[in-house]
Amino acid sequence: MDSQQQVDISKLSEADKKELNQFLTSAAQKSQIQQTVHHLSDVCWKKCISGKISSGRLDSSEETCATNCVERWMDTNLSVLKHLEQLRGN
Amino acid sequence: MALFGSSTPNNNPQEVKNAIKLQLQQEAAMANARSLIGKINEHCYDACIPSPGSSVSPKEETCLSQCMEKYIATWNTVSKAYISRVAQESKRLGGQENTIAMNSLAVAPNDQN
Repeated sequence: MDSQQQVDISKLSEADKKELNQFLTSAAQKSQIQQTVHHLSDVCWKKCISGKISSGRLDSSEETCATNCVERWMDTNLSVLKHLEQLRGN
Repeated sequence: MALFGSSTPNNNPQEVKNAIKLQLQQEAAMANARSLIGKINEHCYDACIPSPGSSVSPKEETCLSQCMEKYIATWNTVSKAYISRVAQESKRLGGQENTIAMNSLAVAPNDQN
């Protein structure tokens, strides 16, 4: 890496740094969401797409299955959190 | 390749900021694409090449392209379902500030559909 070509962040104002910080935070959040979507696609592909692949599209039952798969995964997630919360209360 | 590098050294804060943002977006898009390709590879190999022969047959080739389109369609469906659920949950909890940002994420990894 050529250090001469590196951008000098130290010359930025506080407001600029803050702006970049916010940008970074939202980019990280977006990345996090995308990673979860990758994980869920993996899980739901296994659950919903079985048998021979004969089309590049999702048929309606596969589409419904994928949506349900996500919804129930979220339910599971929330239910686990809720239960943990109860355990902690005891 | 220099991280955050540009061909001409510059000190204009606006340009510095834009360069950093652009670099960041490109890195993120690349990482996202890499994850997607990795998963497609894994699942479509499983689905389309049950017993690897000496070459990929035309039938397997067709299966691979259909599988790829299907995986991307699944990704899009999952993404939409997840994002709308998260938005709904965060609304339920009273926070609303993320909803707009969430909606802007409801886009495909590519725009072909």
